[in-house]
Amino acid sequence: MSVKRVQTWELSDSESESDSEGNPKRAYTHVSVKDGNTLSVPQITEARLGHGMRSDAIIVLEEDAKDALKPSKRTETNTPSPGKKRRSRDEVDTDRARAEEKKAERERAKKEREKKKEEKKQEQQQRKEAAERLKSYRPENYVKCLTVRIHPVLLQDGNSDVLSETLSELEWKSCIEPHSLTHSITWKRSVPQEEAEDGEVEEEQVLMVISLYEFMDVVQSVKQVLKGDSSRHEKSGLLAALSDHLNTHTESVVTMLVMGSGQHRKRGSWYHSHGDLRSQLGMQDVEIEEVLVYLELYKSVCVHFLYNWKEVTDQVCTYTKALSKRPFKALSECTELGFCVDGSWAGGTRVERDGKGLAEVWGRQIQQLNRVSPAVATAVTSAYPSPQLLLQAYEKLDSEKERRALLADLTVKGMVKERRVGPEFSARIYRVLTTENTQLVLD
Amino acid sequence: MSSELVRLGRKRALPSCPNPLFLEWLTELRDQAAEKGLKTQYVYQKALSSLKKYPLPLNNGKEAKILQNFGDGICKILDDRLEKYYRVNGPDAPIHSLPSGVQASGHCSTNLDPSKASSNTQELPGTSGGDHKTQKGEVRREKGARKKRGYVPQKRSGGHAVLLTLYRHSQVPDSKGFMFKNELQTESQPLCDKSFTVPDLGSKYTAWASVGTLIQRDLVLKTHNPARYSLTELGLVVAEQLESGEREEKNDQKVEEEKREGGEAVECPDTVDLTLDDDDHDDEGVSGRLAKRPSPVGPTEESPTEESQAVEHGEAAARGILLPGCYEIILCVDFIETTGGNTAGKPDLVTELQKNGVTFDIRKLNVGDFLWVAREQVAPDPGQLRPPTVRELVLDYIIERKRMDDLCGSIIDGRFREQKFRLKRCGLHKPIYLVEEHGSAAAHLSLPESTLQQAIANTQVVDGFFVKRVQDVKESAAYLTIMTRYLQKLYTNRTLHCRSRELEGDGPRGAQVSCSLMSFTEFNHGAVKSKCQTVREVFARQLMQISGLSGDKAAAILEHYNTVNSLVRAYGQCASEAQKEKLLSSIRYGKLKRNLGPALSRTVYQLYCTKGPLS
Repeated sequence: MSVKRVQTWELSDSESESDSEGNPKRAYTHVSVKDGNTLSVPQITEARLGHGMRSDAIIVLEEDAKDALKPSKRTETNTPSPGKKRRSRDEVDTDRARAEEKKAERERAKKEREKKKEEKKQEQQQRKEAAERLKSYRPENYVKCLTVRIHPVLLQDGNSDVLSETLSELEWKSCIEPHSLTHSITWKRSVPQEEAEDGEVEEEQVLMVISLYEFMDVVQSVKQVLKGDSSRHEKSGLLAALSDHLNTHTESVVTMLVMGSGQHRKRGSWYHSHGDLRSQLGMQDVEIEEVLVYLELYKSVCVHFLYNWKEVTDQVCTYTKALSKRPFKALSECTELGFCVDGSWAGGTRVERDGKGLAEVWGRQIQQLNRVSPAVATAVTSAYPSPQLLLQAYEKLDSEKERRALLADLTVKGMVKERRVGPEFSARIYRVLTTENTQLVLD
Repeated sequence: MSSELVRLGRKRALPSCPNPLFLEWLTELRDQAAEKGLKTQYVYQKALSSLKKYPLPLNNGKEAKILQNFGDGICKILDDRLEKYYRVNGPDAPIHSLPSGVQASGHCSTNLDPSKASSNTQELPGTSGGDHKTQKGEVRREKGARKKRGYVPQKRSGGHAVLLTLYRHSQVPDSKGFMFKNELQTESQPLCDKSFTVPDLGSKYTAWASVGTLIQRDLVLKTHNPARYSLTELGLVVAEQLESGEREEKNDQKVEEEKREGGEAVECPDTVDLTLDDDDHDDEGVSGRLAKRPSPVGPTEESPTEESQAVEHGEAAARGILLPGCYEIILCVDFIETTGGNTAGKPDLVTELQKNGVTFDIRKLNVGDFLWVAREQVAPDPGQLRPPTVRELVLDYIIERKRMDDLCGSIIDGRFREQKFRLKRCGLHKPIYLVEEHGSAAAHLSLPESTLQQAIANTQVVDGFFVKRVQDVKESAAYLTIMTRYLQKLYTNRTLHCRSRELEGDGPRGAQVSCSLMSFTEFNHGAVKSKCQTVREVFARQLMQISGLSGDKAAAILEHYNTVNSLVRAYGQCASEAQKEKLLSSIRYGKLKRNLGPALSRTVYQLYCTKGPLS
């Protein structure tokens, strides 16, 4: 690589020499000036020398190679005309002084360059850290800082083994802990020290896993409350425990997983579990629904019927995944624009380095206005195949009125009946492309 | 014509046509149709031309059928309007004059009521050929004058009222410089004969339709989302004229009335009799206006303005508050839920709800499938065909119902996220996802069960929605029924306040029973899907058409260059092509502030700076 660069330099030197055949010294000086420029403002010199796409890194190399380059240049230039070797003392002095000057300049430039290099390094470091942080937020990494906490009561059911087994298979952290709400599964997340004192935060999601039988207890309690007789049941039982928990943990979002007694799915599909299990309660639909709606409206508790521990385990897994996705989603969410940035329209067209694909982008851009069909967009893009061409056309027109109506008479092809683009759309596209008021409403 | 400057509106034009009401109505119809881009605008235009040429007064719509371009439809519309006009203004109301203020000069009448017709015709110089001629002459003069004057909306029309209101609002010292739609409608209403919110019987349009015309004519500027309305420079000039014309009008009117009483031939004088200033009419005009100024916002206070509003004034004081017992909680069902059901013999939801005896109302909801409103209970007025307008506030719960196969489909085509996005932003704090798990189609779903379960869990955990699972339509109906009953109970003893989201922002979250609620109209209007686009939104979407240019990147570019114009100008100011190419590369985007990078910067540069055709 470095060899190649030297060659390039020789080439450009010889060019400048031919320009000033008579004075090789000046030719050399000329080159040094160029060098000086190269050091301080590499981009511009690059453009002037016509060396094309040189990266900054290559310029550094170039500087190193330069010292080696100079002598060879001198000999080269000296050979063809030895008669010009004789110089006056003054000439030598001025040359020397000039050379000193150049040297100082080079030194300065070098320092500056090093400073820039340092800054760039720092920036890269920061960017690296940011990327690192982003990486740690990726769901697959974030899940590693989550711990599934299982209330010991749940282990009394021997069938619950499947839960802890599955969690360890997935290599997710879990622990047995008697926490605030009985029968519950919760999550805690370890966070960097600076964000929380103890380094652990409790997630707000809580799964309360109870059996059908236990759910009946809740149902009875709710019925008492609804009858206005809350004295007996609110004080003990699961509903009371739930209420206490919600009173002290106002952020908690509790989902009740009501589990059947371990039987297999009847119809081979989870879609039916809900109704199946509900029917096992031996209550009328309306009665159950009343209880469920009570829990929803007064406790924000959602009830979900499941067959067995396998299904509970699946739910625990989906919740864990959802929790692990949340921070990344929050981070990559785009809220500034005020509209949903997802959707088929937002896919984007692939554009090659040489700009291939932009024509399609331009067509799709026009379709971003409300109520614009592809046919109308095509009418515009075939008349004005780039934004610049359309903007230039606008500039050529004298009056606002003409500009606004510029596109109105374009013919839309491919329809059953040929029609025009029309004044309304013409005015809208004109406004989008030329207005300075970003909040202007188009419709 | 010296009074031309102060006597604005189409008032001067009226004398040329003996049927000013019909003329007005047809113009209105045409403008509405034109605004909607309907072909019918041409039908109305043709009829208008015919009507303008016809020199004789018409007594009703049917009579107009003798005119060219008048079909049964138009005649019917005119008759309907006429009927309504009589209802509002009394059966003896002269149809040559507008209800308030615009007393068309006597000789230009009339769509006269038969009883009055004879006497009035006698007042006229006659409808002979000679008169015809002079009228024609006047038409020509009018046309010349109008060209000079430009577009001026007719008095007491929607456009007129909106311009005046915006003008008056802009004159208030601490004015915010624009008005929101609700605000503007409320304050313009007293100045307009037609309702801004409820279309006339047999019509789809309200007086609000004229705002479109004002925008097209560059008189009114509509910006932001939710929309803000303000006057353009041109609009300000026109509105100023209207305002001064309005003042003159009051005086002219007095003079005219007096003259008519005296049986004189009526031609409006150019001079103004100031002695009439202190009568009651003037009070409405001037002090009413002044009283209005200090309270430009807040639907709770309606300013006293015109007599016609006096009745509503009492109610207006209490506006924004629904007292316990004065409202009922009603379930609203999106009309889409009522279609498509019953096809395969499946029980449809509406039938189920009916079976359960729930009071519900089917309407078009712009977001969600179900919600509840607190509807004011108003005794119907027996004298009115149309039920009185009723205030409705939206409760905080909104339900999106999804069958498993719907869910599957919407995940695949991206609607799922979009819907959730809209639900999150609709202003109601308790979005509920109602998942119907039954799937006759369960077996042929194109996504695996685990994916769907994950999507549901995400909806709860990530989006913070309440997820309600039911088995089928029947259970959905049961759920909605019981929810309705609970909400009715929850809201039995509460005083509700109307909160405008536009003016006051979102209310507090988390309250278990919120009593500060949005009006249904504001809610539903705010949730229109293909809402009015702003330039900013279109530009962002346009940038996102480049692959790899995501929403957060577009937002970052917009922070520096918020219109196509400003970006192109920035390119123009670059010293070299290389600089242009790098213009955007160091813009930082997203929460991690990463660089946009040279590749995207170059692509955007190529898109906006390529002089020739793109490839």
